[in-house]
Amino acid sequence: MKDKSPDYYEKFVRRLMATPAWGEHRGRYWLDAARYADTHGLHFDNYREMWPYRDWVIKAFNKNMPFDQFTMEQLAGDLLDNPTTDQKTATGFHRCNPTTNEGGTIDEENQAFYANDRVTTTGWVWLGVTMNCAACHDHKFDPITQKDFYSMEAFFRNTTQSAKDGNVKDSTPSILVPQTPEDAARWTALPGEISSVTNQIAARRAEAKPAFDGWLTGSKGADLDAELNISNLVLHAAINVRESNGVTVAKGPSHWIPLKGEQEWTDGKLGPALVLKKDATLNFGDAGDFEKTNAFSYGAWVRVSKAGPGVGVIARMEVEKNFRGWDLHQEGRKYNVHIVHSWPENTIRVSTKEDVVKEKVYQHVFVTYDGSGKAKGVRMYIDGEEVAVKIDNDTLKDTIRTETPLRVGQRSKDHVFERGRVQDLRIYNRRLSSKEVKTLAKAVPIREAIALAADKRTKEQNEAIFDYWITTRDKTYTGLVAKNEALKAERDAIRERNPVTHIQQEKKDSMPMANILFRGQYDKPKDKVTGGVPAVLHAMPKGATTNRLGLAKWINSPENPLSARVTVNRFWQEVFGVGLVKTAEDFGSTGDAPVNQELLDWLAVDFQENGWDVKRLFEMMLTSSTYRQSAETTPEKLEKDPQNRFLSRGPRFRMDAEMIRDYAIAASGLMKEKVGGPSVKPYQPGGIWEAVAMPESNTKKYTADKGEGLYRRSLYTFWKRAAPPASMDIFNAPSREVCAVRRERTNTPLQALATLNDPQFVEAARVLADGAIARSKGRDEDAIDEMAQHLLSRSLTSKEKSIVKRTLAEMRAFYEKQPEAAKEFLAVGESKPSDKVPVTQLAAMTMVANQLMNLDEVLNK
Amino acid sequence: MNPLDQFTQLETRRQFFSRGKNALGYAALASLLGPTMKLWGEDAGPVSATLPHFPAKVKNIIYLHMVGGPSQMDLYDYKPVMKDWYDKDLPDSVRQGQRLTTMTSGQKRFPIAPSKWEFKPAGKNGMMMNTELLPWTAKCVDDMAFIRSMHTEAINHEPAICAMQTGSMVGGRPCIGSWVSYGLGTLNENLPTFVVLVAEPTNKEQIQAISARLWSSGFLSGEHAGVSFRSQGDPILFITNPPGVTGELRRRQLDGLNALNEITHKKVGDPETHTRIKQFEMAFRMQTSVPELTDFAGESEATMKLYGDAVKKPGTFASTCLLARRLVERGTRFVQVYLNNWDHHSNAGGRLPSQCKDIDQATYALINDLKSRGLFDSTLIIWGGEFGRTIYSQGGLSKENYGRDHHPRCFTMWLAGGGIKGGTFTVRRMISATTSSRIRSTCATCTRPSSTSSASITASSL
Repeated sequence: MKDKSPDYYEKFVRRLMATPAWGEHRGRYWLDAARYADTHGLHFDNYREMWPYRDWVIKAFNKNMPFDQFTMEQLAGDLLDNPTTDQKTATGFHRCNPTTNEGGTIDEENQAFYANDRVTTTGWVWLGVTMNCAACHDHKFDPITQKDFYSMEAFFRNTTQSAKDGNVKDSTPSILVPQTPEDAARWTALPGEISSVTNQIAARRAEAKPAFDGWLTGSKGADLDAELNISNLVLHAAINVRESNGVTVAKGPSHWIPLKGEQEWTDGKLGPALVLKKDATLNFGDAGDFEKTNAFSYGAWVRVSKAGPGVGVIARMEVEKNFRGWDLHQEGRKYNVHIVHSWPENTIRVSTKEDVVKEKVYQHVFVTYDGSGKAKGVRMYIDGEEVAVKIDNDTLKDTIRTETPLRVGQRSKDHVFERGRVQDLRIYNRRLSSKEVKTLAKAVPIREAIALAADKRTKEQNEAIFDYWITTRDKTYTGLVAKNEALKAERDAIRERNPVTHIQQEKKDSMPMANILFRGQYDKPKDKVTGGVPAVLHAMPKGATTNRLGLAKWINSPENPLSARVTVNRFWQEVFGVGLVKTAEDFGSTGDAPVNQELLDWLAVDFQENGWDVKRLFEMMLTSSTYRQSAETTPEKLEKDPQNRFLSRGPRFRMDAEMIRDYAIAASGLMKEKVGGPSVKPYQPGGIWEAVAMPESNTKKYTADKGEGLYRRSLYTFWKRAAPPASMDIFNAPSREVCAVRRERTNTPLQALATLNDPQFVEAARVLADGAIARSKGRDEDAIDEMAQHLLSRSLTSKEKSIVKRTLAEMRAFYEKQPEAAKEFLAVGESKPSDKVPVTQLAAMTMVANQLMNLDEVLNK
Repeated sequence: MNPLDQFTQLETRRQFFSRGKNALGYAALASLLGPTMKLWGEDAGPVSATLPHFPAKVKNIIYLHMVGGPSQMDLYDYKPVMKDWYDKDLPDSVRQGQRLTTMTSGQKRFPIAPSKWEFKPAGKNGMMMNTELLPWTAKCVDDMAFIRSMHTEAINHEPAICAMQTGSMVGGRPCIGSWVSYGLGTLNENLPTFVVLVAEPTNKEQIQAISARLWSSGFLSGEHAGVSFRSQGDPILFITNPPGVTGELRRRQLDGLNALNEITHKKVGDPETHTRIKQFEMAFRMQTSVPELTDFAGESEATMKLYGDAVKKPGTFASTCLLARRLVERGTRFVQVYLNNWDHHSNAGGRLPSQCKDIDQATYALINDLKSRGLFDSTLIIWGGEFGRTIYSQGGLSKENYGRDHHPRCFTMWLAGGGIKGGTFTVRRMISATTSSRIRSTCATCTRPSSTSSASITASSL
């Protein structure tokens, strides 16, 4: 401390309060109260994107947002006039509660659970009242009735939130939070631009109509043939002309496929369609005799009557010979492609990933295969668009040629496509491009429609022709469409690279209302109540609306005896370890009485009268002589004030979980200072998530980050509610499943094991030792002093020094005998030790650093 | 109520918690007095020294929780008449409009699915049970007491497990293990008082979520939370020294650390510093005692054989049971075991055999192992899930296969050891449920009484 001025301490405190770490540190406590986490909490416990709210909290503390505004924006930011993205983000406070998507749960029960949590949390955080006690009956000890509970619950019930979170990261209501000013500006502008272009598109369609009509009058179907002239067509059968006893083939081994028995024809996609059924399937003889090394493509317009067990739509497949051959197969709601030597050990099988089959609708289904003999050489298209596929089998090794003919509607035997329809069957002996497939899907029906007489065309056909014409022949229109696509792509890209956050949103068409639940049971609703505040407390301010906005105003009202007291008490607790009222969440008659009522009152009034200025309050506490007292104790103090509730000495308590870890990382110099952003995953032993997570959960497998993510402040560590970060859990971090306004502070051997053996701490010790040795140019005593300065902000006493030096000597003696052990030890952690220091020397000094980092004095504030 | 009576009652409760001569009362008192009581280590204080005025039988508890809810009528609750009801609809007079989960509430019909397995009498009392899937368990029913009249309010897993563990469907309260730790304190200063073991089922098709909240200490102090032993990696987090650090080296480092902390204590005078020194020493001792605990090398061949081959594979239910015995032997008060995958919404026919195989021999082994070591009478074993399963089939029904949905109103648990009267079983009517309506709904749910099953039981059961 070079500054010698009398107010150097005050200046120092102010300097620290001006760093970004101020907001991170204050925010950390608030996130416990907000029960912030990165997963939904129940059942699947999937990822929830919520960190923009966390960043909002940090920002609010850093810019010293007055606490009443802080309250207002979190409880009702969405109800303010023209709320900003920030103000909406703030309302995430009451979207941090755990939610479920468990299949069997009942919506009404879930909503009751969520609303209950919100009242409970609001009660603890702003009122210091255990509202939760009044959920099932009138409060046994405080003057809070069950009606009071449900009146407050009404404020939180009028929400657009659904009862299940959908297991998605962005359950409604949620908003996108652009992370750069450029994205924010574009995100705001894009909807307008898109709608303007959309209007221009509609206008252009109207304008172009006369030109189109002119074209259509003189047009024949053949005009499209140039577009449809796709080479290497080896089989083409339109199957759209009703003839007796057979089907004409436009191109293929024969021009006539005879049909037995009675045939059923019906309206199809491209004229009359044959209804396929047992004994009424088509046999195309030798067509499609391909080898696995041939590239080929095939498909048709297909209509499925009923999705059920597997059927052969197009198949050249010999069932009797282990299914040798190839096919287009439909099973349930998926299409499959088989290319088989023998099933299943010598086979390709690819299926559509999604349920794409639509019953009773014509879909253009097309397959291309590149002759590679591999499943990834197969592509599948529905209605001209490529669809995602799943590879079920990829073991093909031998020939796929078979003598059985190509059939439509069945395989060599069985697998009949009952009541299916197939039209415009095409096979090519090369792999078609996606553009060509698209043309087939779009242009063929258009060509058929144009070929019809004008009065025979349906309205849909006329529209389809117009669509086709305008998208292929009108440059103005295609230009506008391209512009629209570009804008939408830009919008999607912004959505892709920016996070969403969960917010509160009020139902517009109803007023806050809740039912009193008999014994708190969701299925025993009794009297209806509207939004209201506990009758025993002050009334709602004049003009306050009966919604969350009114509630927030009521909480901030100068008449409110509680919120300022409860808040200053919690801040006091952050600084001194224990609040003036120990039970920070309960100022009621079962809570602890204040240890100094006058002080509490004075602080609360002072806080309120000075604009709820948080930094001012903290500066006052941190510069007070009470805070600056020495933590040293005496037998007298211990006897009269054993727990230091009367502050007979300065506060001394074991640091919180995050501080313990951050302190180690910071002291070593590993800390990556960066405010905000997605949560990170530092080191964690394997199996912690896996042991509790459901197999379907997307937070089942913990994979630690590399680099920066290992060394961020702990408040950025990914918080999975079902398995909180292990190293923090050990140090009494809450699970974030319910609001926590104060933490336990235990002293257990598990904590000792963590700070001794957790790779995070071992690595930090090694990096600290490494740096200390380098800076002290190899002088042991200087290196030790350097480490002490980093960890204790002081030099060691001579007595301490001699103990540490003895440890160093013992460690060194061991590692000099066992340099291999030293190497192993130094390999802990992702960072690499310097190669300038001998391993034995560095290992010994690392053990010393590890010893110092475990000092009671280091672990305590 | 007469105000005077009420006052007397309050007084009694107050006595109980503040000065009653019982362990829980002392525990409560101790915690009110301040943070001097330590459940880890020598500071165990009044808690470990106090005994109730009558000799307690149970010193330790092993709670085997079957996550997902095992099917009572396929294991222990014999329903012979249901054979005649195969594929018939569940009568409305039985269901009486009671709540179903949304997984089956949309089903068109609720066809009765009788158990496909053979039930035979087991033990001296000839209790009918599924001897086909549980042949080993059948051999020790004379040591077990079956409660076939369990019911719960919850119908979904999360709240139901929470209710079983904490008494409330809503999280945030202490679990049963934490209460035991809080009330009875430690028996071994080198091991945790309350240990959680999550066993791995052979089949994992119907795994349900479990989470650390189930062994949290709720509003009790954090030291009463369960310590979850892991089957993968270190059994206790960070129990192993980093590579290249030997126990000897650690000892020397800790000697230095203790000396430094002593200096701090002299200077500052904070009693917590001494506690910290003790915790580091305890940690050091655990580094020896825990690996010793989880190493089965010292177990005799006969013991290993008793538990069967699965015991050799870490994480199996068999190996978990053996570990539970070793914990109890060393003084751990409460061992909470979880075995997942009992949620048989479908394919009960396919899945139940492997679930039963996981538990059958291990259960027999655990009981007999405890007996042979003289620990059985002081160790209470609790077995059961969070709810039961429906008599009607969820989804398709055939003679060989069916699924069963959640059913909270009736299920079976069993107890053994710890002075429990073995060879007994309740009929659902015997339990003194608090309201008659509840009893009716309980009876009504699964089946009507069958003459064969109730005849052998007491007349009062009706």
